[in-house]
Amino acid sequence: MKKYLFIFALLSAYQSFAQQKDSTATFKKRVLEATEVDFLISYYKQDGVHSAVSGGMGSEKLTDLASNIVVSMPMSADAILTVDAGLSAYTSASSSNINPFNSSGASGDDDDDDKAGTEPYGTPWLASSGASAQDALASVVINYSHSSDDRNFIWNADVAFSNEYDYTSIGFGGGVAKLFNQKNTELSLKANVYLDQWRPILPTELHEYDKYGSSFLNNGYFSGVTVYDQNGLASNAYLPSQFKDIQSVNRNSYSLSFSFSQILTKKLQLSLFFDVLQQEGLLSTPYHRIYFADKANYYIGQTQYIPVYETTENVGVYRLADDIERLPKSRFKLPIGVRLNYYINETFKLRTYYRYYTDNWGISAHTANIEVPIKLNDNFTVYPMYRYYTQTESKYFAPFETHVSTEKYYTSDYDLSTFSANQYGIGATYVDIFTKAHIWKFGLKNIDFRYNHYDRSDTLSADIVSLAFKFVMDK
Amino acid sequence: MNKVFSLIAVLFVLSSCTAVKEYEKEYINDPEMKLSAKTAERYEVTFQVYREAAAGANGGKTGGGCGCN
Repeated sequence: MKKYLFIFALLSAYQSFAQQKDSTATFKKRVLEATEVDFLISYYKQDGVHSAVSGGMGSEKLTDLASNIVVSMPMSADAILTVDAGLSAYTSASSSNINPFNSSGASGDDDDDDKAGTEPYGTPWLASSGASAQDALASVVINYSHSSDDRNFIWNADVAFSNEYDYTSIGFGGGVAKLFNQKNTELSLKANVYLDQWRPILPTELHEYDKYGSSFLNNGYFSGVTVYDQNGLASNAYLPSQFKDIQSVNRNSYSLSFSFSQILTKKLQLSLFFDVLQQEGLLSTPYHRIYFADKANYYIGQTQYIPVYETTENVGVYRLADDIERLPKSRFKLPIGVRLNYYINETFKLRTYYRYYTDNWGISAHTANIEVPIKLNDNFTVYPMYRYYTQTESKYFAPFETHVSTEKYYTSDYDLSTFSANQYGIGATYVDIFTKAHIWKFGLKNIDFRYNHYDRSDTLSADIVSLAFKFVMDK
Repeated sequence: MNKVFSLIAVLFVLSSCTAVKEYEKEYINDPEMKLSAKTAERYEVTFQVYREAAAGANGGKTGGGCGCN
């Protein structure tokens, strides 16, 4: 009997201890009260005249539809697990011209090499029917974060994976954040590694040269296809001898990010961001063509369009590449940014951002961003926004057909050229802190809409519209 | 090196400002005052990384993906 009493006393003591522990836990505010789900969708379209696939000239028409679902779950009072899964599908006139010769090309997949026979034609100014005209990118990022009991120390770890037809990326990283000075100051440090891999797709003509060597004009895709010179005469002289096959397909990125946040007054706070980024491996894009100024020009298609090749009047001839872009195997990037937010009054707030960027490819850039949220009532806020960006060109950049074959590195990708860009738009936010609208167990907390127009000084223009819904699971 | 020391000095000065108490953070805690980019802004950052040479220092992703479309 004494034994039973002893066990009963022990269990009671344990229960009372456990209750005491639980009651303590009840008073600890959870880092995340309930599961949150963000559903995001975006549509992007652009157009321009400097397609890198066609050597810095041609249509850059592109559309992209992207969506993400982000689920944040409280794993305990201190920990959050976030899963971010995304899918993005694009169509691109530029990418389609990896094989510009309609449906009879041989780029990438060897299976269609025997489809040659009819006289093919193409143009840098229109999308071809090549398989590379569209692709999809799937991605997932899983993040775990844990806060200390006093909420002044947070550590987190993440893994990331993304895949598209010719590219796979695996990433992982982690970071720490420390708050002090009554949570007025925050210091954080984050490190990330991305181990990426290309499955290179080459422009059709270089793919065939790579496959058959110097006899490529009589084999595969080129068998029975006439190549023309600048005068529109049939020629057998086209030989892209500068081209060498890609040896390494890896691209590794290492980053170290430091940030410092400070509340300056009751209405003013700032953040400083400082990143150190190192990239190594295949940093060029394998299907970006290069045309050398000191090499003769050769074409496939309808010769009457050769004199107007560089204009949109050309709807039937495509120039054969001398090589693909070549860039160094390493790049060191150094961006530093500052964000400053000011609470003007109940109605107006001011959000600003500035970044200076420099790298060892000779590029330096400035970015300035301003956003003015205007609170209309308890539920609605609208915010006009403006962003200015300017950069100097990479030392490896030159426009269409201006590189010479004696150079070691070359690109005609206008994303690496000198330009400035203006982006302006408007956003609107709907907030319902009581989450009255429901879908199943989830209450709608807010909706965020953004529209922006982007104009680059090299004539590229783009529009992007984004919509985000945040749902909170009922407790 | 002097620039780094200057930056550290500026950070030290900023962090030594009079602390704003929790009950005084009504304005700072306004959702529009967050020091991070907005959730729906991520797609804009992605296309900017594709179309421009500069990247990073915005609290977002700093690598991964080819950015080649």
